[in-house]
Amino acid sequence: MGRQSTVALGVILAAAMLCLLGAGTANAQPASAGVARNAIGTLVVVRPDGVEDRLRGKGSVKLFEEDILRTDPGSQALIELPEKISLALNENTQLKVLSRWEKGKPLTRIVRIRQGEAWVKTGEGPKAFEMETPVATAFAKETEFNMRVEPNGESILTVIQGIVEFGTAFGTCPIRPSTVSYGMRGKRCTRPETIDPTGVLRWSRQIVQ
Amino acid sequence: MTTPWSVRPIECLSLLVVALWVSSCASPPVQPAAAPEPSTRIYVANESSNNVTVIDATTLAVVATIDARNYSTHDLSLTRDGRRLFVTNLASGRVSVIDTQSLEVIASIFTGFRSHVVTLTNDNRHAWVANIGEDMISIVDVETFRILGTIPTGKGPTGLTFSRDGRFAYVSNQGDRTVQVIDTGSHTVIKTIPVGSNPHFLVLGPDGRIWGCNTGGNDIYVIDPESQSIAASLVLGPAPQQIAFAYKGIAGPNAYVTLAGTNEVVVVGMEGGKLHVREKIPAGDRPNGIWSNAQGTRVFVVNEVSNDLRVIDTGTSQTIAKVEVGRKPIRVVVSR
Repeated sequence: MGRQSTVALGVILAAAMLCLLGAGTANAQPASAGVARNAIGTLVVVRPDGVEDRLRGKGSVKLFEEDILRTDPGSQALIELPEKISLALNENTQLKVLSRWEKGKPLTRIVRIRQGEAWVKTGEGPKAFEMETPVATAFAKETEFNMRVEPNGESILTVIQGIVEFGTAFGTCPIRPSTVSYGMRGKRCTRPETIDPTGVLRWSRQIVQ
Repeated sequence: MTTPWSVRPIECLSLLVVALWVSSCASPPVQPAAAPEPSTRIYVANESSNNVTVIDATTLAVVATIDARNYSTHDLSLTRDGRRLFVTNLASGRVSVIDTQSLEVIASIFTGFRSHVVTLTNDNRHAWVANIGEDMISIVDVETFRILGTIPTGKGPTGLTFSRDGRFAYVSNQGDRTVQVIDTGSHTVIKTIPVGSNPHFLVLGPDGRIWGCNTGGNDIYVIDPESQSIAASLVLGPAPQQIAFAYKGIAGPNAYVTLAGTNEVVVVGMEGGKLHVREKIPAGDRPNGIWSNAQGTRVFVVNEVSNDLRVIDTGTSQTIAKVEVGRKPIRVVVSR
C-alpha cells in the first residue's frame, strides 16, 4: 500500500471515528429547541432551573427543551422552532417547549400550551408537530392554525391551511381549513363549523409581519 | 352401455382436480399447537441506576438490563400482550416505552414534572401517568405516544388504579391525604375520600375492591367501589409500600404487603371482608415492589437497599431464590 493510500485510509478511519463519537455524545450538549425572534412588550423565558431570560423587541434568544415561555398582558412574541415551524404567542399565554423521541423517526416537536392563544405555521415536508392543550392535542403537517385555550382548558382550534388532526382521549377528528372545532374535557372534539379565519388571526398581524 | 353414474377418464380426472381444490379450500392444513411453555418475564425498575432489569421467571437468569434513557426509573406498566412496557422516570418527567421483543427503548415521552406512576387503562388504549410535580394525570395514546389530555388531581398524585369495569380511576394524593375517584367517562372527580398519612400505592384486588397503602403511616385500607368509601383498614407497621395477591395452598387469596419499616412481607387474610394478619415473612433490606405470578404460588419482592429481587414460595412462605438487580429497585411486574 502506498503512502497516499495509507494517509487516505487514515483520514477515512479518523472521520468514521469522529462520526461515531459524535453520535454517541449527541445528547451531551443541550440541543437548541428554537429561537425567540421578536417580542412586542416582553417575552419571559423560564429555564428548567428557574432562571429567567427576557426578549424585548427583535433579537435572538435561544430556547431549550422544557423552557417555559410566557407573555404578560399587552405582550406578544414570535418563535422559530426547528424545521421551519413558526409560532406566535398572543398576550397572557404560557407554553412549554418539548419534544418526543421515537426510534427511527424524526424528533416530534411539541408545544404544550397551558393557557392563552398561539398561531402556528409548519413548513413543507413530513415534519411532525404537535400542540398539546390540557384537554386535547393538535397534530399537524404542512399546516397553519390557531389555538386558543380557555382557563378551564377548553381548546378552540381554527385551521387556516392544511388538515389538523385534533385528538382527545375520546377520539380524533380531522379539521379542515376555514373550520373551527372545540376540545373539551371528557368529550370528543366538536363537529367542525365553518368560520372566516381572518377575524381569528387579527391579533397576530403585527407580530407575524 | 352407459349409466347415469358412469364417467369417462377425462371427466374422472377433472372431478378429482375439482375435489382436491374444494378440499384444500374447505380444510386448510392444521398446524398442531405448540405445547405451552412458561415464558414469563420479570421486569424490575431500578431508580438509582436508571434502568430496567429483565429476568426469565423460569430460570431466574438476568436476560437484559435496559437503559431507560432517562433518570430515576420508578414505575412500570406492562400491556396485556406483554409487548410494551411503560416506564416512568421521576427525575426526567418522562415515560420510556420499551419494546419487550427487542429489549430496547423505542420512545421517550415528556408527561409532566416528576412523573411518578403509570397505569394502563383496562382496554390498554391509554397509559395514565400521575405527575407529582404538576398535580395532574397525563393520558398517553399507547400507539401514537401522543398525549391526548390531562386531568387535574389533588396535591401530589402518587398512586393510580382502575376499577374492574374501568368506569372509575382511583388516584391517591400524598399532599392531601386523599384518594380521588375519577369518572373515566367524563374525566371528572366524583368523590374525594380521606384515607391517611402519605397515601401511595393503589391496586385493584381480586375481590374487586381498591387496596391502598398509607406509606407515611402504618396501615392499609380497602375502598368499596360500590359505595366509594373505605370498607376496611388494618394497622400493619411502619411504611407499608405495595401489595400483591396470592394463595397459600387452599387459603386465599391473601394480600402480601411489603413493610419497608420492618423488612417484612405481611400476609393479610380477608375472609368475610375483614382483614387480619395471617403471618409475617422476612424480606430483604427495605422491601418495596411486590408482584405475584399468575398462579398465585410465588411472590416477587424487590428490596431498595439490598438491591435484589427475592422469590417467595407462598406455599411454604420461604424465600427460595435471590437475584441481584440494579440500584434501588422500586417496582416489579411480571408478564402473564
